[in-house]
Formats: sequence, C-alpha cells, structure tokens
Amino acid sequence: MQVDIHAPYKDRVNQALSDPNLRVAVSKATDRMTNARLASMGAVEGQLLRTQVRKMKEHVLSNWPDYLEQLETNLTRNGCTVHWAGGIADAQAIVKDIALQNSANLVVKAKSMATEEIHLNHALEQAGLRVVETDLGEYIIQLADEPPSHIVAPVIHKRLEEIAEVFQEKLDMPPTREPTKMTSLARARLREEFFAAGMGVSGCNFAIAETGTICIVTNEGNGRMVSSMPRVYVAVMGIEKLVPTVEDAFLQLQALCRSATGQQLTVYCSMTSGPRQQGDVDGPEQVHVVLLDNGRSRMLARGYGEALLCIRCGACLNACPVYQEIGGHAYGGTYNGPIGAVISPALAPEIAQFKELPHATSLCGACREACPVKIDLPRLLLDLRSDLVQEGASPKTEAWGIKSYASLMNSRRMYENLGKMASIGSNLYAGMSGGNIKFMPPPLNGWTAYRDFAPFAPKSFREWWRQRSKMRGQK
Amino acid sequence: MTVRDTILSRLREALQQPHLPFPPAHSEPLTHTERMTVTHVDGDIWAQAHRFAQELHAVKGSCELLETVTEARLSVVSRLQLWLEEEQAARKTADAERPEDWDVLCWPLDQLQIEGLPLILEEVGFKLIQPTDLHDPEQRERIRYVRAGITTVEAAFASTGSFVVGGRGPNARAASLTPFRHLVVIPFSRLYATGEDWLAQMRHAGKLDAYLRHSRNLSIITGASKSADLEGNLTTGVHGPKVVHAILFDDLQQ
Repeated sequence: MQVDIHAPYKDRVNQALSDPNLRVAVSKATDRMTNARLASMGAVEGQLLRTQVRKMKEHVLSNWPDYLEQLETNLTRNGCTVHWAGGIADAQAIVKDIALQNSANLVVKAKSMATEEIHLNHALEQAGLRVVETDLGEYIIQLADEPPSHIVAPVIHKRLEEIAEVFQEKLDMPPTREPTKMTSLARARLREEFFAAGMGVSGCNFAIAETGTICIVTNEGNGRMVSSMPRVYVAVMGIEKLVPTVEDAFLQLQALCRSATGQQLTVYCSMTSGPRQQGDVDGPEQVHVVLLDNGRSRMLARGYGEALLCIRCGACLNACPVYQEIGGHAYGGTYNGPIGAVISPALAPEIAQFKELPHATSLCGACREACPVKIDLPRLLLDLRSDLVQEGASPKTEAWGIKSYASLMNSRRMYENLGKMASIGSNLYAGMSGGNIKFMPPPLNGWTAYRDFAPFAPKSFREWWRQRSKMRGQK
Repeated sequence: MTVRDTILSRLREALQQPHLPFPPAHSEPLTHTERMTVTHVDGDIWAQAHRFAQELHAVKGSCELLETVTEARLSVVSRLQLWLEEEQAARKTADAERPEDWDVLCWPLDQLQIEGLPLILEEVGFKLIQPTDLHDPEQRERIRYVRAGITTVEAAFASTGSFVVGGRGPNARAASLTPFRHLVVIPFSRLYATGEDWLAQMRHAGKLDAYLRHSRNLSIITGASKSADLEGNLTTGVHGPKVVHAILFDDLQQ
C-alpha cells in the first residue's frame, strides 16, 4: 500500500505501519547501510574526520556571505552563469527559462534534493517539457509516480517484486526479478534519453569557493552524463553547500561517502568548473548555477543554523528507530528522518506547517551519534517543540495539561493524594479486567491501543520508605 | 534590491545577531597542517601499486601490474582482444561478428605514454575513434555503440583504487563514460599514495587552483558503475562502464 503524502500526518503514519513490505524493505536497507557506515568510519580515525568536517563547515557558516560571493566571482570567471533564487517560484522560473531559451524539450536529471524541494519536475512539465530522472532509484519512483523516501536511496521503500511490477507495467519488461536484466533495460532506455536531451539538471553535493567548482557525487555515472552530454547543464544548489578549498572538498567527500554508503569514495565524483571551451571534444556549452535560499537564511536567523551543516548523507535516517518503522513518506515533506524533522519546519515560513515532525522522534540520540558533522538533532527537535509552544501552535489541551502537571508537582500533598487515588482506582479497574488495564478513555487510549497498562503499585515509594524508617527507628 | 543582495544582507544581518546560537562567532578554517589524511598507505611505489590493485578489485574493477612499457603495450592489445571475444561469444547469434566490434573510443594515444601502441592496435585490426566534437550529431551517433574506451589518467590514488580523468581538449569525457568497458592506462609516475598527497603536491607547486579551473571537468573514478537501488542487490554497469580494467606500468625506471 502506498502512503498518501497528502493525507494528515497520523493517517500517513498508520498507512506506513500497516504496510509490511515497507517495513521489511526499509529495515533491511537501513541495517545494511548502518553496518557499512560503522565499518567504514571504524576503519579510519572516524571521530577526527567528523570533528574536522564540522570545524570546516562551522567556519563556512561563520563567513557564509563572503564564501558565497567568492564562489559567485569564481564561477563567473570560469564562464558559468550564476542565478540567485529567493524561493521556489524564483528557482522554478530560472530553470524553466533556461530550458525554453535553449529549446530543450527533453531534460535529463540526476538525483537532487534541492530540485525536489522546488518541485522542479512538476514546473518543467507544466511548461510542456519532458523530464526524465536518470538515477535508477529516482527513475523507478518517477515511473511509479511517487516522491523519494530517503535522501540517498530514494526507492528504499520498495521490494524487488514491486519494482519488477513497475517495470513490467511501464516499460513492457517481460516478467523477471533478475536485477541484472532490470538494470540492463534501464541502461538502454536511459541511454537514449541522455543522447537526445537538450539540458541536464543536477543538484550539487558541494561547491568549492576558491575555484568555482560544482561537485556531484554518484555511483551510477548519471551525474557525469547529465553534466557532460547535453548542451546545457544546470546545477541547483542550496546556498549552504559550500567548502572553502579543494582539500576541504576532498575531506568532506570522504566523510560523505563513508557515512552514506560505507564506501571509501563513491564511484564518481564529477567536478565541473565551467563550460566547454574551443577545442574540447565534449561537455556543456553553457553551465548555469542556481543558488537557492528558500528559507535557509531564515533558518539561520531563527537559531537553527546548526542543521545547515548537514551534508545530506542520510546516516541519521538509517540510525533512527522511528524512520526504520515508518519510512520516508510518512514525514510528508521533501526531507525525512531526523534531519527532515528539523529542516522541514525550520525552512518553512511557519514552523507550525510541520508541527507534528518535531514529535516524530524518540529522542534516543542515535541520529546525533551517526551524523558525520555531529549535528545535535535531539536538541534542535526540542528547540522546535519549544518554539511551537511559544508560537501557540501546540494544542490547548496540551498546554492545559502541562500547567496542571506543574501545579501538581509543586504541591506534595496534592501529588501524594492523587497518587493514592490513582493506585486505588487503577488496581480496582485492573482487578476487573484480569490483572492489567486493557482500555483507558481518551486521551490515554493512545497507550492501551498498542499495549496493556500495569496498575500503580498499591503502596507508593514514599509510603514504603516512611514505614521502613519507622520500623528501623522502633528497633 | 536584487534577490542576490537580499539574500546576502539577510545572512549578514542574521550573523550579526548578538545571541545567535549558531555558528560560533569566531571559527577558524582548517589549516593545511591540521587537516587529516583519511586513509594511509605505506611503502615504495610497488607497494602502492599493489594497494591500488587490491582496492580496485574491492570495487569491482581489475588490474595488472607490469614492469615495462613493452609489457603494457602487449597487455593493452591482448585485453582488447579478450573483450572482443567475450562480446562476440555473449551474442550467440548469426551476426556474432560486427564491424563496429573493432571500434575503440580513445584519447589521443600519444598521451598513453606507450610508444607504438596506435600502430600495433591498427595492425591487429582495431579502429581507433577519436571524436573532435560530440555535439555534432554524426560524431555522437558514431560513438553510441562503441563498447570499449581507453584513457590514461591525471593521477591515481593507491589508498582507494581511484583515478582522476580530465575532460579538456581532445580528451573526450565520453571515453571513460559511455562504453561498456573502460581500459585505463596508469604509468607509475602518476600514481600517488593518497588523494591528499596529490593535492598537497599540486598546491605546493602552485598549480592546484589553475589546474582545476582549466580542466573544466575532472572526475574521480573509483571502480565500476553500480547501484544497490533494486532492494540492495548490487548491479554494475548502470550508466557508466560495467568493466573497469587498469594497466599500471613502471615508467620510472626509464
């Protein structure tokens, strides 16, 4: 069953939880990627690598506007065209205009979260262009008309038999579940698209400010294809995707690969510093770079700048017990998992647009331990909850409940009396239903819907302690 | 105010807020002396070559280590012949032999530093395709079904089994990308222990910045094109070459 990403949050979660295929596929993949990451980071000085990448990225954000200007200067000097986009509409219009001006009716795309964020495919298709995703996973979900459900493994939620069905239905593939045959078919189909496309679009894993170089990282080679074969190449990058020097880029590349898939390096890191020059055999004649804000400057001003360190490796998703259960679509935004639960509300004009996400966490801290730049995600999630309360976005009943709890905890007499009543009441009720409480009225039924509730102890700790002290005193 | 100026001024205003929790007000860049080398490799050039081979094998590539340029020349020819036979055997049809089977997409062969290679390849029957403009529809069509490509490298890193290919002048990016098989020729003089070593040498020589800019495109390649998108099943040759074979030879003795 497919999760309806437009459904309310609780419905999305219920849909995800009731899909056994999804849970098997997601758990299997996240376990595999987590084990690969642990082995890869353990094989080198992983903690030092994390510390150094964080330090480098902190420095970038401290000097953010200066590095952006340096990047712009160097890109322009290299012959690239730089565009600035404040929001989704700006970015869509820029890319659409480039395509239309160059009569690029077919656009091939490499996997990119930034272009998902601006809903680029939809905008280009509305302008009458054909857009083809070329990452194998993205190609599958484009055929299935679904959004990606993981930052680096977009089709993580689908099992092989489900993918085979999509290929049979959409590509007329003869029935088979052989991955090699399915890959060969995709290669052949997509090769035609690469050769015919007028424009290639990708995201940007990082851009080197000192040289004006756009770097994209892939395992399949589609990133090289989209940045080499068509006449026009467009890279859409979030403005935080900066590194100062080439050496910093190589350091971050290694942290990214080890954290994302456990590889020392991915198969391809393609570094584009400008358009084709006279005498070059291939390469794009035009290189455009779209620098996308879309809430990032607001995110910094709101105090969530630490999340801008994110290098989009997906390690926090793989480590998260909540993500492992519900997969990516239940989060409802472009970004999912723990980092998505921070980024989606922090990027949005109103945090309350994603008010459920800061609660979609167990706050266990596994994400913080996995993060290659040590982002303190649990703290940021708590900060978001706090901001939601400040903004009055939390339910009134919750605010009332917390107030009552605070006054209860301030009065020893009230606390003990209530404890006594709860003990008597819960034991009576449990006695009637055979030892444990199997049902409670709303809002407590959320607990008993999934598990029994044990009755309170007949005697509180305080009572027991008082009695024990008395008995010792008597002796 | 332009969009650019609005974004930059927003960032500057935010960074000037007195109680901004992040980033720290003063944060130093990583210096060249403190920046770590992630993976280390010890030993002489042959030890490094063996490490390169080991790492490339681990990422679905293969490798030969040769002592002389003469061996390298023979090895290139026999590898291409082996691939040709494999292709024709796999086809199993009446038209098992097609003229385009002999096509090889390559960079100018003088760059491979193997004297006499073009001559011997042509004598054996291979047709060396060296396009001049791949936006020309005719030339593009000519390379579409070429099954093998030969390139050399800008540099290779023993620690990860990686190599760097450029895309400037007559060196087609396509040669290491569109064919099903990629034969990469690596003289020992371009083999470095680590990527960090290569960058340090380039930086020290004052060439790094200009080199990157003038290259237009550089790719670091580590093994065969692959994907695990089909429920974790590893498949190779998704878009780039399925077969990557490196021939390393000792040119330092000469």
